[in-house]
Amino acid sequence: MQRGSTQAQMPADKEMQKAALDTARKSLNSIVLGKDQEISLALACLLARGHLLIEDLPGLGKTILAQSLARVLGLSFQRIQFTSDLLPADIVGVSVFDQKLAEFRFQPGPVFAQLVLADEVNRATPKAQSALLEAMEEKQVSVDGKTHNLPKPYFVVATQNPSDQIGTFPLPESQLDRFLMRLQLGYPNEASERALLTGTDRRAMLEKIPPTLDADTLGILQDNVERVHVSEPLIDYVQALVRFSRESPEIETGLSPRGALALIAAARAHAFLLHHSGVFPDDVQTVFAAVAGHRLKPASRSGIRNPGELSRHVLDSVAIP
Amino acid sequence: MSRRNGTDGSLLASLPYTLGALAFSIAPHVQYLPVWVTVTFLSCSAARWYIEKRRWRLPPAWLRIALAMLCFLAILFSYNQTISGVGPGSALLAVMGSLKMLETRVRRDQFVLLFISIFMIMASLLREQYLWSLPYLLAAVLITMTAWLRMSQARDVSLLHSLRSSSRLLLYAAPIALAMWIFFPRISTPFWSVPIDTSSGRSGLSENMSPGDISSLSLSDAVAFRVTFDGAVPPPSQRYWRGLVLHQFNGRSWTGREPLPDPKARDRISATGDAYRYQVTLEPTRQHWIFALDIPVDWSPETIKMGSDLHLAYTFPIDQRIRYSAVSRTRYSVDSQLTRMARDWYTRFPEERNPRSIEYARELRAAAGSDERYINTVIRAFHDEEYFYTLQPPVLGRDPVDQFLFQTRRGFCEHYASAFALLMRAAGIPSRIVLGYQGGELNPYGNHMIVRQSDAHAWTEVWLADRGWQRIDPTAAVAPERIESGMSGAMFGEIGASWGLNAPAEWLHQLTLSLDALNARWNEWILGYGPENQERFMKWLGMSKPDWQKMFLTLIALVTIGIVVISIVLMRRNRPPPRDPAAVLYGQFTRKAGLPPRTGETPFDYAQRLRETSVQQSDCVDRVTSRYLKARYGTPDEHALQELEDAVSKFRRSA
Repeated sequence: MQRGSTQAQMPADKEMQKAALDTARKSLNSIVLGKDQEISLALACLLARGHLLIEDLPGLGKTILAQSLARVLGLSFQRIQFTSDLLPADIVGVSVFDQKLAEFRFQPGPVFAQLVLADEVNRATPKAQSALLEAMEEKQVSVDGKTHNLPKPYFVVATQNPSDQIGTFPLPESQLDRFLMRLQLGYPNEASERALLTGTDRRAMLEKIPPTLDADTLGILQDNVERVHVSEPLIDYVQALVRFSRESPEIETGLSPRGALALIAAARAHAFLLHHSGVFPDDVQTVFAAVAGHRLKPASRSGIRNPGELSRHVLDSVAIP
Repeated sequence: MSRRNGTDGSLLASLPYTLGALAFSIAPHVQYLPVWVTVTFLSCSAARWYIEKRRWRLPPAWLRIALAMLCFLAILFSYNQTISGVGPGSALLAVMGSLKMLETRVRRDQFVLLFISIFMIMASLLREQYLWSLPYLLAAVLITMTAWLRMSQARDVSLLHSLRSSSRLLLYAAPIALAMWIFFPRISTPFWSVPIDTSSGRSGLSENMSPGDISSLSLSDAVAFRVTFDGAVPPPSQRYWRGLVLHQFNGRSWTGREPLPDPKARDRISATGDAYRYQVTLEPTRQHWIFALDIPVDWSPETIKMGSDLHLAYTFPIDQRIRYSAVSRTRYSVDSQLTRMARDWYTRFPEERNPRSIEYARELRAAAGSDERYINTVIRAFHDEEYFYTLQPPVLGRDPVDQFLFQTRRGFCEHYASAFALLMRAAGIPSRIVLGYQGGELNPYGNHMIVRQSDAHAWTEVWLADRGWQRIDPTAAVAPERIESGMSGAMFGEIGASWGLNAPAEWLHQLTLSLDALNARWNEWILGYGPENQERFMKWLGMSKPDWQKMFLTLIALVTIGIVVISIVLMRRNRPPPRDPAAVLYGQFTRKAGLPPRTGETPFDYAQRLRETSVQQSDCVDRVTSRYLKARYGTPDEHALQELEDAVSKFRRSA
């Protein structure tokens, strides 16, 4: 499939794209068991050109989710393990002197991959963290005065251990804002865990799974996501949610305009993923906790401390127009 | 327990407004309330505010109950073991409002406080209904409304905004209130009417007269009555407002008789002078006497009767301001013949009192030769000899007329009238004393005449054969300016009439005159809007034969129209956006399903719940849900709405 496909070809292409997306979801579900919702959200995040932050305890499948995403979507994959002595150059790369050519050559770092897994991002120093976050934001890297573009599509999956663990630098709110979504995987349910324990090794499975998409197709899908219809009543709904988040006494910091844009982008991607003919309120509600959870700050006297509950409070309080 | 009595500072923002509103509505009562009630109110408000500020606990229930009992007993004690009436009632209300503060913990209690505030405002109307109290009471209502809004509005709304909202609310209510006031049927003697406490401590004429009575009245600026003339106004020298007639003398004071109506009294008058038509608005006196220009020949309403002494009296004591009209003629003659018994009655006096005066009268009468000449001699004596007209006459002893005529020679109208009447009786001429008012000031702003208590006057009538009763005012001989220019003219010259005794400047005098004109309109049109005025107004509006049913129906119609108009105005202002046809259809669906969607429940979740809780056909539900989402939120599609309509009607048929 080529980028230059004409409008006339689109309907047929669309069907194929949808089929490919469904296959990708199915493949991902077969590797990461019992996490349909999270996988849909991760896919939606990717389709909306956003970056994903997965926050959970170690051993819950964060890495395997990121790896399987790269594999199924046919993206190049790099993993950076963040440690407290990680330097920015370890992330973005360095210029080294090439003896043969007698000149400095840029040696790209692990950030130059279409899907980068930044593991345990909160264990590195803020300096190293910001090197990654700048790359995410600008989609380019400047080393020694030269700008190097990052590949397209570009997708960062950062994982973070809950911040109350020792020796961590939790990401500040301003940095959290750069992630379109924050997910929590949580423990698998009984049945999924049993299937996991009795089944084959996940990493071995991963090798066998064929990629269902490629980078170009993903680009087209991302373009199509932006064309998903957003109706007037839905805009009203998003505005009502945003307004409520700013006015509710339970919430100290409500959603910013960027947060509102993120909400619509994520909802669009989710609607696209589920083949909705437009963005439905259900799409907004499904992505709301992931998009808004890390952007809302509960009021100091509020009884609601959990971001998930806070999101639920907003959704349950705002009528759908 | 601590949770129940504790405060958390959440009322801190709105409490000062509530307390302020309450203070503002209690303020008009303060001068009538016992001091301890005001002290209780102030200390409770201060305590309540401080408790909220420091987040202390409110006093426990037993203490509040004990305080309430104590205050109740204190009110019983302050008001002579009664709690009925305006005084104890408003004191009770103020005290209970104060104590309510001590248990005001949540917003609901604050509501109660503001209700009490409104009630206090209404209660102050039971005490006084002056024109100037109206703006104050309106302001009190406005402040209470604002406090109400402060309580329920979000914290960041400015005070000015709340004030504007409450003014707007009052403005919306104004036309309805006005319609209620105009059309609510008035009943002539409403059984619920509370007599307005205005006559206590106020001066007025009483049914007997002893030296010093009227001069004490002269210090009062209070309005006795107001008169509006239909045509010509009588000259000052003719402005004798006849009140009651005194004819019994005990040597010191003169007394009259109970106001018994005499149906033939009117026929005894043969009047010739100019006729004056006028209306009088009489302030409450708690007595029966009606004042009319000497001599009234016709009057209305029927409840006014004329007594045998040609005085007018009301059937009931005048507890409220009344209005009556009368026709008077200034030249008249009455009773050209007097029976022997009557002549005897009107010449009686105690022989053992005032012996010098009696002796003097008999000597003069013998010297004069005829009654007329004798009267002239006495009048001339008052005029020529050294008699003085003064507001501060010396105190008189056992034989007051003797003392006055021969020693002090200083007196006020009652001294001259009393002395003159005695001199006449001693000489065998029938005489009596008329109490009333003399004078009156024409108010150029309201075109009405004000007669004040300071215009109170006493004069005499003597009976002469063939001429009947003649008015003779001995004061006119001593102080003719009293009769020509009125009371204040006699004392101070032209200016300061309405200030009676102390008018500092001409402009102030003008100001009081214009205020009085306004007050007269207020009395006539607002307070005097009783059954008669209402009937007249209804007729003027074109209602033939107004009765309470017609008025009530009009009232209901007007109030309905008012509410509809205001609602339309408000609805147009806050008009909701036109409803999406898809949303309307979906609304039909949810109503038919019989399960209202929850706030924030998406159509999918709703469909899920519907499947779980009811026996609805799930494929129908799913079809409606998906078509609704498509029509409302999906890519615009001209068939989507039609499909939704089909799905909904199918669902309705199947359900």
